This record gives sequence, C-alpha cells and structure tokens, in this order.
Amino acid sequence: MDEEILSGLRVLDFTRVLAGPYATRILADFGAEVIKIQSKKTARGAESNTSGYFTTFNRNKRSITLDMSYPEAREIALKLTAISDVVIENFSPRVMSNWGLDYQKLKEARPDLIMVSMSGMGQIGPWRDFVALGPTIQALSGLTYLTSFDQDSPMGLGFSYADTVVGLYAVVAVLAALEYRDRKGMGLYIDLSEYEAVCTLMGPTFLDILVNRNDVMPQGNQSDYMPAAPYGCYRCLGTDRWCVVAVFNEMEWQALCRVMGNPGWSQEQRFSTLSKRKKHAEQLDELLGQWTGKRSAEELVGLLQDAGVPAGVVQSAGDLAGDPHLKARDYFVQIEHPVLGKTISDASPIKFSEMRRADWKAAPLLGEDNQYVYRELLGLKEGELSSYLEKGIVG
Amino acid sequence: MNVTSEGDSLLGEIRVLDLADEKASFCSKLLADMGACVIKVEKPGGDESRAIGPFLRNSPHPDRSLFFYYNNTNKLGITLNLENSDGREVFCRLVRGTDIVIETFPPGYLKGLGLGFEALSELNPRLILVSVTGFGQSGPRTNQKSCDLVASAMGGQMYVSGSPSTPPLKPFGEQSYYSASLFAAVGMLLALRKRNQSGKGEHIDISLQEAATSTLEHVMIRYFYDHIIPERQGSLSWNNGFCIVPCKDGFILVTLFHQWETLVEWMDGEGMADDLIDERWSDEKYRLQHRDHIIEVLKRWTKTHTTGELFDSGQLMGFPWAPIHSPKEVSESPQLEARDFFKAVDHPENNISLKYPGVPYRFKSSLLKQVRRAPLIGEDNVEVFQGQLGLTREEIQRLSSSGAI
Repeated sequence: MDEEILSGLRVLDFTRVLAGPYATRILADFGAEVIKIQSKKTARGAESNTSGYFTTFNRNKRSITLDMSYPEAREIALKLTAISDVVIENFSPRVMSNWGLDYQKLKEARPDLIMVSMSGMGQIGPWRDFVALGPTIQALSGLTYLTSFDQDSPMGLGFSYADTVVGLYAVVAVLAALEYRDRKGMGLYIDLSEYEAVCTLMGPTFLDILVNRNDVMPQGNQSDYMPAAPYGCYRCLGTDRWCVVAVFNEMEWQALCRVMGNPGWSQEQRFSTLSKRKKHAEQLDELLGQWTGKRSAEELVGLLQDAGVPAGVVQSAGDLAGDPHLKARDYFVQIEHPVLGKTISDASPIKFSEMRRADWKAAPLLGEDNQYVYRELLGLKEGELSSYLEKGIVG
Repeated sequence: MNVTSEGDSLLGEIRVLDLADEKASFCSKLLADMGACVIKVEKPGGDESRAIGPFLRNSPHPDRSLFFYYNNTNKLGITLNLENSDGREVFCRLVRGTDIVIETFPPGYLKGLGLGFEALSELNPRLILVSVTGFGQSGPRTNQKSCDLVASAMGGQMYVSGSPSTPPLKPFGEQSYYSASLFAAVGMLLALRKRNQSGKGEHIDISLQEAATSTLEHVMIRYFYDHIIPERQGSLSWNNGFCIVPCKDGFILVTLFHQWETLVEWMDGEGMADDLIDERWSDEKYRLQHRDHIIEVLKRWTKTHTTGELFDSGQLMGFPWAPIHSPKEVSESPQLEARDFFKAVDHPENNISLKYPGVPYRFKSSLLKQVRRAPLIGEDNVEVFQGQLGLTREEIQRLSSSGAI
C-alpha cells in the first residue's frame, strides 16, 4: 500500500450516510487510512455495514466502534485525533462541541490538525441548526425549481446530487489544506456548507438575477442561453426509450439533415439558420421526434455520432451496467466482500495513467478494526480494551 | 476567494495554464479562488464559451457573457494561437514554468499539434496535464461528440429525473461540467501530492459521462444489490422519503414518514389529519402501501399554509423540509446573507460592481481576499508575455502580427 498517493495520511471519520462518506471514500481510494467511527446504535439503515449503500460508500476504510454518548469515548476520540491528520464530521453544528470535541479542543491534541465540518447550512447563520438532507438542499438552492418543465409542477433530480458534490468539495478543501500545511506547518478548520456548495453550481443564474433583474424560469431540457437547436430529448422505438440530440452549428445541422435523408421540412426557410431554428424550436422538436420515434435509440445515436452530431442514448441503470464504453474504461470495479460475496461499485472517474485497484478492500464490518486501532495504533493494553468493550464504550 | 499575496494563501505557489472551454473552466476557477495563479489561454478573438448567455444587460458580446464571468474569476487572460508555430513556441515556454495544464480538446488534438502529454513532459517532467472530454481518452466512444445534455443522458441522470408522463429531464444548468470540474480539481491536487513523492507529473483523464454517472447515488446501488432499474417518479424520492406538495404561495418539499407521530399530531391539532390518526396507520408497511392516500391528506393540509409557515415550524420540530425556492428567493436568503455568500466584484471597464456567488467553504479569514473579475480578451497579454516570459515589446509585436497572439 505504501506507494499510494495518500499513504501515511490518517483520517478520523465521524461522517454518516452519503456526503461525508463519499468524501472519505475518495481519500481512502487514493490510499489514506480512513478510520470510520461507528457504534451498534448508529449502524442501522444506510449505515448498516452489510447494506448495499454502506458497502458502496465505505470501501477501503477501517471501522471501529466507539459509543460517543460515554465521556470515556470522548477521551479516546481525543487520543485518536492526536494520531490523525484530518478529522471530518457531518453532524449538525452543535454535536461536536457538545461532546467537547470542537476544533479548539481537538487542536490541543493535534496542533496541525485539519478539520472539516460539513453541515447542511454551515456552522453560522440563522439557519445553522436546520435539518437538511440532499433533497432539502436541492430545494433550497433553486436546483429543484429549475429542474422542472414548468413552475406549476416542480420535480427536481431523481437522486441526491447535493451529497456527492459537497463530498467532492470537502476533498478539494482537505487537499488544499494539506498543501497549506506542507508549506506553513499549520492546520486549518474548514466550515463547509452544503447549501452554498449547490448554490455555486447554479452557474451564472444568480448573476442574471442580481445584475439583469431577469426572472429565471424552469425550461425543462431547453435553455434560452444554449446556442443550440435542435437541443432536447426525443422518443425512440420501444418502451421508455429516448435519445438526446444537440446541434450547435451549421455543419452539425447539415449532418443531421443528411442522416434523416434531407426531408423536405428540413430545407424550409424557418429552419435555415440557428436563430431561426431556436425561434421555431417547438415545431422543429415535433418533426425531429416523428423521425426518432421510428428507430431504436442505439441505432440513431450511432448514425448521428458517425455523422458528427452530438447525440446520446438516455441510459438506464441497466444500460450503464452493460455499457461497453464504461466497461472498456474499467468504470465499475468488482470487490469480494466477506459476507456479501462479489460486490460491484463505481471505481473513480479520476483516472491516473496508472491506478492500482488490486488492493482495494471491501467496506469493513462493524468494529472490524477495533484490535488494530485500539491495540496497535493507540497502544491500549488487552485488559483496557476488554474493559471498554464490557462497558459498551467500545460498542 | 482569491489570495494575491502568495505568502498566506492555500494554493499560492501553484501555477495553472487553463486551455479549457465551458466543459471545465470551472475547474481552474476552483483553484484560482483558493489562490493559485491561473492563466486562461484563449484563442485569438476569445474562447467560444464567451458566446454562452446570459449577458450583462442582456446584450450579447464576448466580454459580457455572465457564464464566462462566473467561471473565470481570479484568472489572468491571454490570447495564443496554438495552431500557429510561433504560438506553440510561446506556449512551450509557458509550460516550462507551470505546474498544471488543463484542456478540453477532442482526444488527440494536442498530440496532433506536437503538444501531447509525452511532448509536454519532455519540456517539463513535473507537468500535470488534466484532460476533460465527453467520453475520456480511451474506449470505443472516445471520439464521439458530447455536451452537458449528452453527458447527462449517457451518464444516467436523465432517465431517473422527470415524471412517468414526461420525457426524461436534464438537471438544470451544466451539472456534468461542474461535477467533472470538481473531480478534475481533486485529481490535480492528488497529482501534486504524488509529484512530491515521485518528482514526476501525470496525465489525468476525466470523462463527462463518468462524472455524471458518479453522482447517481442510489441508482446503480439498487441495480447491483436489488436488481431494480430505477425509473422516473416525479417529485417523489426513490425511497418514498420526500415529495413536493403545494402550499398557499408555492411548493414545499416534505417528508412522508419521518417522525410520523409528530406529523400526525401536528396535522390533527389543526383538524386536518383526516383518518391518519387511526390505529392502522401506525404500521409502517401499511403506510407504504397506502402512500398515495397520505400524500392526498398532506396536500389538503399544506394548501392551508404558506411555505414559510411550514418551513419554520417544521424545522423547529426537526423535519428536513424546505420550500422549492426560485433562484430569486435564493438570492434573498437570510442564511446566505448572514454568511456573506454573495460577494461584490468590481468591473471597472463597465463602471459597476456585480454580486457573485462565493465559495462554499470558510477558512480562517486571513485566507480570504477580494475577488477579481474574469479577464477581458487578452487582457493580461503584456503582463504575462513581457513580465513573466520576458519577451520584448518587438517580439510581442511580431507575434501579434503573425497571428500567434
């Protein structure tokens, strides 16, 4: 393991469910020693060690049990902090300080500590204590409102996007803080807000509102600002089969017309320039949809891409699992799990020229690394550990 | 927020050449906002992403694209023609003094110009090259064309967004570009650490399709573990946890089963719980089977309230509810205001100061400084070519007339 990029970096991981675990999974994938703090009480639902959710987001990590409701557990947490480079938590703002484990206190144990608190709203502000999961954040940031066909039926994304992106931001922050620590010898505390993280991904939307006083409305798959037409999602042959087509310039438009066999309508004046096509987008979509509806999505996308037109199949989970391109790029990785057997998960879209996945380890069982962490790393005596176990502190 | 004094900044010693178009200009913005020195290299006349709206005062112009403004804060801007041999020579000189190059050209394009990773590595063995493309540098679809719409479709986001009665729906904005940029930024920072050990650079390959697929949360997990192909179900979340219901003045995202007893008590207190107080509803399985009835009763109740009332009271009781805010409401959020999220950025040439979204992290305050707006086309040519590369005025003149810059 010693040749990996983050070898030697130890991360104490208090996080649960998705946003935090996604961040620490990236650190673990690249060689950091991530010690996840669990307990019998918390290892339920998405945090149950043999659930698909847990297995997917906690591979390559270690698990110890430590019941934080005991004062002794907090002492142990301080000792663990002393031998860690990074502490990450995604509780509501008061939890860590109620345990006496805020940054000031942890810094006494480890002066150059890097700590990331990732909460829904951030550590300060009138909403700091608000309860938020991924969909809550997507609703508050405008993403749900704008990911809809019209303002009277808001829909939003069919998955918790916010958690993944804030996880990525947390890793950017940790790695930047490591650069800083390398140069300055100092640690840093990072207050990361999931709400703000999603707000940064709204692009120029807020500028448009604050500067131009424009009203930004939901537009479905369309965009007034995208210099493209046709630009949308079209029904294909079969049950719930669809493709997307995006035509940005004249060359792509000519290519599309060719693939369609230059039907009469495609040569009409109303579609002769990009701005005219945008103006008559509805009619254009209708006509294009009549053509796509008679063919399979795969066949169409093949024809269009061969002709140089940006197009894609709207892929389902089944399509993705069998996608030959993802397969050729080893996008999915197979790991043997001691209880679940063969497991499959998404590897990492960050592809280095050499990436060794042979050593990847399945997500840990509950408390799997108690012996290693408490005895070997902390140097507790056999008797001490068994007494903690008996009292349920390590439990 | 940018840090101009290199002494006390997160990434102050890192130098980046940004050749990226709209697919990844956000990536080097992330680094620039943390203090890295980023030079945006545009072709003469400016990058094509300057054509993407909206525009300042709704008037289209390459120096007024708000899309370009947002994604290029804190960068220097130069123009350089890589298809011109003099331009390539200048580029090679810049590469010698840089840590990272980020590019979004079709795979093989830079190699065709003699500027592939091997060639650049010979000039600067410590160079990290990051390529962000539609489908990545390898595999059967490597040469196919992409954009956010194609990446979102091929990446699986659209299939599960929207309702059964609508077409699949693309997440708003350019989310595949932003998530790919975040993955690329993580990759760059990892490569910097790797370089500390090996002394050598690295070529990082990011695919927009894979970036999109990597955000799917439950979708592939349910496929691999439960053999389910998740489908579109409107605003109802995959685990039946959340749905969106109407209020007097808009819509709110509510939970269906969270803290069930408290919820029913709350509704009952207002005489709106209907039959949900009956014993049979205390059974979780029964609730799940009769989910649609619960939604109906909830809707009747929520319609008697404003989103604000339900948001405030619900949050006090620990419900993770939230109004479906329009971007205008987001821009007026008291939470964002209290955290100083929107920052004023000066645009001296237009004589205005514009409010930009900031960064989502707070480091200690001395690391945060004034933001500089995106560069105008070729704004920093003189500073970079003369100041950093040491070219003479005459040389710059010659390069300019040969079309290199």
